[in-house]
Amino acid sequence: MKKANRVLTILMFVFLYIPMAVLIVASFNTGKDITRFEGFTLQQYAELFRDQDLLRLLGNSVLIALLSTGISVAFGTLAAVGIHSLKPKMRKVVMSLTNIPMTNPDIVTGVSLSLLFVFVGTGLLNQRESLNFGTLLLAHVTFGLPYVILNVMPKLQQMNPALTDAAMDLGCTPVKAFFKVIIHEVMPGVVSGGIMAFTMSLDDFVISYFVTGSDFVTLPVEIYTYTKKPIHPKVYAMFTLLFGLIFVLMLTMNLLQLRGDRKKVNKRPASRGWKIARRCIAGVAAVCLVVGCCFLFMSGRQERITLNVYNWGMNMADGTDGTMDLVAEFEKRYPHIDVRMSEYESNEVLYTKLSSGGITVDVIIPSDYMIDRMIAEDMLLELDFQNIPNFSYVDEQFKNPDYDPENKYSVPYTWGTVGILYNTKYVDEADVTGWELMWNEKYAGKILMIDNSRDAFGIAQYLLGYDVNTTDKAQLQACADKLAQQRPLVQQYVMDQIYATMENEEAYIAAYYAGDCMLMMEENEDLAFYLPEHQGFNLFTDAMCIPKCAKEKEAAELFINFMCDPEISGANMDYICYASPISAAKEHMEDYLAESEIVYPEEAVLEKGSAYAYLSEEISRYVEGLYQGATKINNVSTDDEPSGSPVALIVVAALLAAGGGAWVLFGRKKRKS
Amino acid sequence: MSKELIRLRDLTMEFDGERILDGINLYINDHEFLTLLGPSGCGKTTTLRIIGGFLTPTAGTVIFDGECINEVPPYKRQINTVFQRYALFPHLNVFDNIAFGLRVAKKPKEEIEQRVNHMLEVVSLKGYGHRNVSSLSGGQQQRVAIARALVNEPKVLLLDEPLGALDLRLRKDMQNELKRIQQATGITFVYVTHDQEEALSMSDTVVVMDKGRIQQIGKPEDIYNEPKNAFVADFIGESNILDGIMLADYKVKFFGRTFTCVDAGFEPNEPVDVVIRPEDIDIVDPKEGHLVGTVTGITFKGLNYDIIVEFKGFKWLIQTTDFHPVGAEIGIRLNPEDIHIMQKSEYSGMFGDYSSYSAEYDELTEDAGDGEE
Repeated sequence: MKKANRVLTILMFVFLYIPMAVLIVASFNTGKDITRFEGFTLQQYAELFRDQDLLRLLGNSVLIALLSTGISVAFGTLAAVGIHSLKPKMRKVVMSLTNIPMTNPDIVTGVSLSLLFVFVGTGLLNQRESLNFGTLLLAHVTFGLPYVILNVMPKLQQMNPALTDAAMDLGCTPVKAFFKVIIHEVMPGVVSGGIMAFTMSLDDFVISYFVTGSDFVTLPVEIYTYTKKPIHPKVYAMFTLLFGLIFVLMLTMNLLQLRGDRKKVNKRPASRGWKIARRCIAGVAAVCLVVGCCFLFMSGRQERITLNVYNWGMNMADGTDGTMDLVAEFEKRYPHIDVRMSEYESNEVLYTKLSSGGITVDVIIPSDYMIDRMIAEDMLLELDFQNIPNFSYVDEQFKNPDYDPENKYSVPYTWGTVGILYNTKYVDEADVTGWELMWNEKYAGKILMIDNSRDAFGIAQYLLGYDVNTTDKAQLQACADKLAQQRPLVQQYVMDQIYATMENEEAYIAAYYAGDCMLMMEENEDLAFYLPEHQGFNLFTDAMCIPKCAKEKEAAELFINFMCDPEISGANMDYICYASPISAAKEHMEDYLAESEIVYPEEAVLEKGSAYAYLSEEISRYVEGLYQGATKINNVSTDDEPSGSPVALIVVAALLAAGGGAWVLFGRKKRKS
Repeated sequence: MSKELIRLRDLTMEFDGERILDGINLYINDHEFLTLLGPSGCGKTTTLRIIGGFLTPTAGTVIFDGECINEVPPYKRQINTVFQRYALFPHLNVFDNIAFGLRVAKKPKEEIEQRVNHMLEVVSLKGYGHRNVSSLSGGQQQRVAIARALVNEPKVLLLDEPLGALDLRLRKDMQNELKRIQQATGITFVYVTHDQEEALSMSDTVVVMDKGRIQQIGKPEDIYNEPKNAFVADFIGESNILDGIMLADYKVKFFGRTFTCVDAGFEPNEPVDVVIRPEDIDIVDPKEGHLVGTVTGITFKGLNYDIIVEFKGFKWLIQTTDFHPVGAEIGIRLNPEDIHIMQKSEYSGMFGDYSSYSAEYDELTEDAGDGEE
C-alpha cells in the first residue's frame, strides 16, 4: 500500500513536470527538430541574449507584472482593511463581488475591459489611442486585486482585533497603527497575494490580448503570434530561464517560511541572519521596482519616433532564414525611428480593429477590395508622393488601380494569386481538375478552407461560374449553400495555421495565397501548387496605406518609400515569396523566385484572374453573415459582446472598498465593543 | 481623598437601537483604585472603552481633568489600557513591546532603554527583554501588558478583566502584585471585573453595575454590609433575602415574628427586603432559637460547611464551622446588627432563595462571566 502510494506520487510529479522537462531539453538541443535530441548546446541561450526584441518583451512583461502587483498589493490591502471593517453581512456581499473577477472567464473580462477602455478613451476623452500601457496596467490590476484581497482577508480575521486598539492606546494614529502593527500581522497574506498577482500578471494572455495597444506588448501576447510558425528554440531557452526563476523564487519562499515556522516552534528570537536575509530581499525588490520605473520613465521620455506598422503575419522579411531584416535595415537608415510591428490575420480583422478605434497605427497593408472600402469610408489619409520618390519604380500596370483610381491613397506592396496547395503523396493528380478538388469527398477531413468570407466566397463563385463581384443575393445564397455543403469535409478553417498543418501532412488540400504556398513547398517537397485557370482565380494586390489614426505620417511615408526601393523589395520577396509590383526588384531576388511561374504566372494565365472589388456595406455584411452561417459550427454573433459594466462595477467596488479602508485608517474609528 | 480626575456625566450608549449604557454618572479621583463590577453584559467594558476613547458615547460627556474629551482620539489621551487578552504585538519581543509607546512618542534611545528596564524590574521580568512574547506564560504575558501600559506613565490605567485568563493561584498573586504596583506608582486604576472577591479585595471604590445602570457605588465594606438592593446583595457574596414589613424604626417583621434591627427611616408598615448574610447566623439549640428549621443539605467548603436549612418552606443558606447532618433540627438566633433592611426594588423576589441551591452554582455563574463581551 505504501509502495503504491509512493509510485502514485512519483507518477503525479512526472505528469506535472514532464512538459517542463521537454521544454528544458529542447532548449539545449543543437537540432531544430524537437523530436530528436542531437547534441547539447548553449547556443539558444546566447541567441536569446542577443535578441533585443525578445528581451524587451520579457522586460515589458516583468515591468507590468511588478507594477500591477505593487498597485494591487497597496490597494488590495487597503481594500481588505476596508471590507474587514464592514458589518458581516455587507462584508460577505462585497467579498463575493470581489471574487467574481477571479471566477469570471478571462475572455469575458478581457472583452468587457477592452470595450470599457475604448468607450472611455475614444468616446469620453477623445483619445486617438485608447488602448495603451495604462489600460494594460489597469487590466492587470483588475485581476490582481482580488487575489490580494482574498489572501489578506483571512489574516485580518485571524488577527486579534484588540491589537489595533492597543497600538492606538500606545499613541499610534490609525495610519501609524496600520504600518506598525497590522501590516506585520497580515504580511504573510500580502506576500502570498502579491506572488499570486505577480504570476497571474506575468502569464496572462487572454485579457492582455484585448487591452494591449500598439505601444506596449507583453511577452505572452507576442508569443501568440509565433504559434503560426514553428517557435524559434531561443524562446525555449527563455521559458526555461523563466521556469527556473519562478522555481527558485517559490523554493526560497517556502524555505524561508519553513525557517520562520521552525523559529516560532523553537521560540527563539529572530536570528540576525534571518533579519539580514529579509532586508536583502526587500532591498532587491525595491531595486527591481526602481529600475523598472526608470525603464518605464526612459522609454516614455525618449524623443525618438515610434512607427507602428500593422501587417499581415509573416509578411515582411525579418532576418530569419538568411533574409534581410528589413526593420533593422530601416532603423539603420533612419536611426531616429523605431519600428514596431504588429500583425493581423485578415482584411476583415484589420477593418474591425481600425473602425472600432482604440489603436494607433501608421502603416497598414490591406488588400485591394479593402482599400476600396476604406477609401469609400474615409479611413485613409492621402499620401504625399513627394516623400515617396521610389514610387517611380512601381510598374505602370500597378499604378492607378481600380481600387484607387487616382492613386492618392496607396502604394502597391505585393501581388499574387489564390490557388490550391495539395500534397502529391496523398492526392491523386487525376482529381486535380479545378476548385471542385476542395469539395472532393475522397479527401474528407483532410481539406483546409481559407478562413475569411471574401476568399471563401470567391472560391465558390469561381467554381459556380459567377462573377466574383456579384451583388445578386440569389447567387450569394447559392455560394453559401455550396460552402455549407463543404463544411463536413473541412478539417479546419485556417489562415496562418495552415503552415504547420500542411507541412506536417495533417491535411492534404488547402486553398491559399501563392506566396505562402511557395514557402510551404520549400519546407515539404511533396507539396504542389495548382491554379485553376479555366475557372478563374483571385488576383490580389496588397498595398501600403496610411490610416486616419496615424500619428507619424511623414515617417510612414519614409517607410513606404523604403519598401519601394527595388533592392529592399527584392530582399522582402525572398522572404515572403510573393510577386513584387516593382519589376526592377527581380534583379535582387533569388533566381528561382523571379523565374517561378507560381509567383509570376505567365501573362496569358494572369488574364484569367480577377480582382475583388469593394461591395457595398450592406452586401459585405450580408456575405459575412452567410459565411458565418455556412462555416461556423457555433454561430457567434459579434453584436452581443458582454457589456463592460460588470467589470466596471467591480473596479468601482474595489476602489470604494479601498477608500473605505483608507477611511477606517485615516478617519475616526467606531466599532462595537 | 484627592482631587477628581474623571467624571462621566449621563453617559448613554446604544448599538443598533439596543441600550448598553443607560445614564451612567460617576467620578473617579486621582490615585484611586476603582473597580467596575458586574455580570456579563452589564456595560462595564463599554464604560471602560468609552473612557479609553475606543467608543464615542451616544449621549453624555466624559470629562478628564476638567475638560470634555468625547472627541479626543485614544492616541491623544493620557490613558493606557491593559486589554482583556493582553493584545501583545506578536512580531515584537518583550522589550520592543514595552518600548512601543515610548518609540511612538519618539523618546531618546537611552531613556527608552532605562525606562523599559526599570519597568521590567517592576513587573519582575528582569532578563526577559529579548524573549519572544509567544514563549511566555499567561502570567508573564500579563505582566508585559501591564509594563507596556505603565511605562508611558499615564494618568489613568484601564484594566479590562486582566486576570480573567489566569488560574486561581496565579490570579491571587497577580491581585497582590497589581495592588502593590498601583500603590507604588500612584496611578489611577480603573479595573473591570465580574469577580466580586477580586473587586472587594483590591479596590478603594467599587461600582456595581447591571443592565447598563450603576446599582451602587461605595467602599468594599459598605457595598458588602449595606447593599442597596437585592441584586447587589446577591452579587456581592451570599445572601438570604426575605420579604419583610417595617413596622416602625428598628422593628421589622418577617416569618410572623418581629425582630429588632439597626435600620430606620422607612414608612410605617412599608414592605421591605430583609438581607441576612449566611455567615452572620448563629446556630443554637432548637429550644433557644428565634426560628427552628431542618437541615436539608450540607456541602463541605474547607473553611466551613454550607448548610441549607428549611424554615417553613423557605430555604436559607447558613455557613457554619460545625457539622450538622441532614435531617437535624437546629435553632438560629439573629442579632439586630445581622439584619440588613433594603427598600423594595425591581430585583425584589429574584434573588436570595436557596431552594434550588447546588454547590456548583457559584462556578456556573463565574464561567458565564468569563465569556463577557
